[in-house]
Amino acid sequence: MTRHAHSVQNVQADSPKPRYRLRLFIAGDEPNSTKAKAMLARLCDAYLRGDCQVRIVDVLQDYQTAIEYQVMVVPTLIVEWPPPVRSILGSLTDEDAVLAALGLMKEGNEP
Amino acid sequence: MSGAGTLDDDLRERLAKAEAALEALRRGEVDLVIGVDAPLVVRFRHLVEENERLAREWQTTFDALNDAVLILDADQRVIRCNKAAERAFGRTAETMIGRPCWERVHGTSEPIPDCLMRRAVNSLKRETLEMRLTDRWYRVTLDPILEANHRFVGAVHVMHDITDRKNAHEERVKLQEQLQQAQKLESVGRLAGGVAHDFNNLLIIILGYGEMVLNKLHPQDPMRHWVKEMLGAANRAAGLTRQLLAFSRKQTLQPVVLNLNDVLRNLEKMLRRLIGEDVSLEMLLAEDLARVVVDPGQIEQVIMNLAVNARDAMPQGGTLLMETANVVLNDAYASSHPGVTPGAYVRLAITDTGCGMSKEIMARIFEPFFTTKERGKGTGLGLSTVYGIVKQSGGHIFVYSEPQRGTTFTIYLPATEAEAQPVPANPGEVRTVGHGEHILVVEDDQSLRKMMVGLLSELGYKVTPAANAGEALLLVEEVGLNPDLIITDVVMPTMSGKQLIDRLQRTRPDLKVLYMSGYTDNAIVHYGILDPGTPFIQKPFTRDALGMKIRELLDTDRAEPLCGAPRTP
Repeated sequence: MTRHAHSVQNVQADSPKPRYRLRLFIAGDEPNSTKAKAMLARLCDAYLRGDCQVRIVDVLQDYQTAIEYQVMVVPTLIVEWPPPVRSILGSLTDEDAVLAALGLMKEGNEP
Repeated sequence: MSGAGTLDDDLRERLAKAEAALEALRRGEVDLVIGVDAPLVVRFRHLVEENERLAREWQTTFDALNDAVLILDADQRVIRCNKAAERAFGRTAETMIGRPCWERVHGTSEPIPDCLMRRAVNSLKRETLEMRLTDRWYRVTLDPILEANHRFVGAVHVMHDITDRKNAHEERVKLQEQLQQAQKLESVGRLAGGVAHDFNNLLIIILGYGEMVLNKLHPQDPMRHWVKEMLGAANRAAGLTRQLLAFSRKQTLQPVVLNLNDVLRNLEKMLRRLIGEDVSLEMLLAEDLARVVVDPGQIEQVIMNLAVNARDAMPQGGTLLMETANVVLNDAYASSHPGVTPGAYVRLAITDTGCGMSKEIMARIFEPFFTTKERGKGTGLGLSTVYGIVKQSGGHIFVYSEPQRGTTFTIYLPATEAEAQPVPANPGEVRTVGHGEHILVVEDDQSLRKMMVGLLSELGYKVTPAANAGEALLLVEEVGLNPDLIITDVVMPTMSGKQLIDRLQRTRPDLKVLYMSGYTDNAIVHYGILDPGTPFIQKPFTRDALGMKIRELLDTDRAEPLCGAPRTP
């Protein structure tokens, strides 16, 4: 199953108890938000192989959640599970940083 | 403790988050910033775009300025510069930003002595100066940038190109100087002309009676030698007054249509002798040179005087170059040279490779009696004469010189479409004595008239004097006097010689006439140039010259009109 950037929305994991629970805060189709969504879709496909649950929060529709999660800037990706909770701020262009936050490393970079 | 530890962790986490947020902002990867204390969403991208738009707008405006602008910090380093500055300094902004202004503006390793920035640091107000950068002139303005507490934090350095204005100003000053020079020569000329005129009349009397005395003296009389000396001095004085009159443009010209190349070719041999062996003479004569209307004798004198001048400037030898060319002086040329009328001209350029002269000397060379030569070597009238002749011929003369390099005199004479006239050969031996022919002398100066009567009677003519044109008219028209020849002054009060003759020739077309004149007055300047072929004798004249001229006229058949320029010896 291949997901493209434009098709990434709230993604339900294939398994009933997914390995990763992610929450991405975006602002409509603003450029950094669009980029972050596309990057996340690609990373989910390539490294998590569908074993994840992604919730997209558009703060232009729902900023209350952003405040609850103490999100300061958008886009922000919060890795809710597995613990500890981590945040990655920005458009997720730095793939290594995202993989490190997810506790994964790209092939070849693995120690 | 544990509480404090949790608070610490919480603060540390918040700080880390804030730093991460800042980092994302720095990377430009943020669309929104969310207020923490209030449900406030700031459209960050719009802010960025607005900021970028303002920056672009500012830069576009900055670059649209025609003046070169540098924004400097307090250490005089360039913070920003616009496109005009890039053009003015021939450098890109990248190579200027961060560099000290003196390095980029003046190309020096330290601030210049009259540095505007140094002045502004003290005055805390606008400072200005004018400066030249490569080939352009700029008016530089430096406005200090002050903080609220009047602390000097930098300056706006604006350079406004004033080259055109500066050139126009310099052009105006140059024109003004040329005009002043011309006016000065004009007034000196008027003075010299006036003196020469009165002096001339006295000389005619001295020469006239002197020659009569010489004629009466026995060939063995020891006094002949003294009288000859006296006449020689008077003749030399007459030469001086002729030059003064030439300068003051008050001599009577007898212009003919001629080709300057012919004049130069005819003079070549004499010029070579004149300039000596150490100076080589080169002539570059234009083919199909247009003709000019000038007095051949006068233009020869112009060429000779300039050649002598060139020779004296080259005591160690050199080259004298004479060039002719057809040129058209256009409106632009005329507007930068006062007195020049646009049109077709013949240019005669005389260049030497001599010692040249300074600007100060160049400004005075046409003044009469101005000479750089040793005492007794020159009268200081040579170039004045040249100036006067060229001007009276409707031409222009300019001089260009560089010390130790040489000098060029450029003469422009108006070109004419008329056909060239053959220059008449010198008359052979002409007798001077009369055979009792009747001559009517019209001359308003009493002493002169008296002398003329004596001289002509002496030569064997029957003479009737008239003090003015009216008296002459009365004698011819009322009394019925029928002279063989009328000798009349050109310039006389109430009625001129030409008006008198025009009137008499209406009823007596065969009437022979000889004009004589020493100068022409400004008020009736058109009499200064007689029609080509008009019999004329220049004052002062010698007894023989007058005698020859009279015989030439009386012995010529009316059917064969005199042509060319009757010249004074």
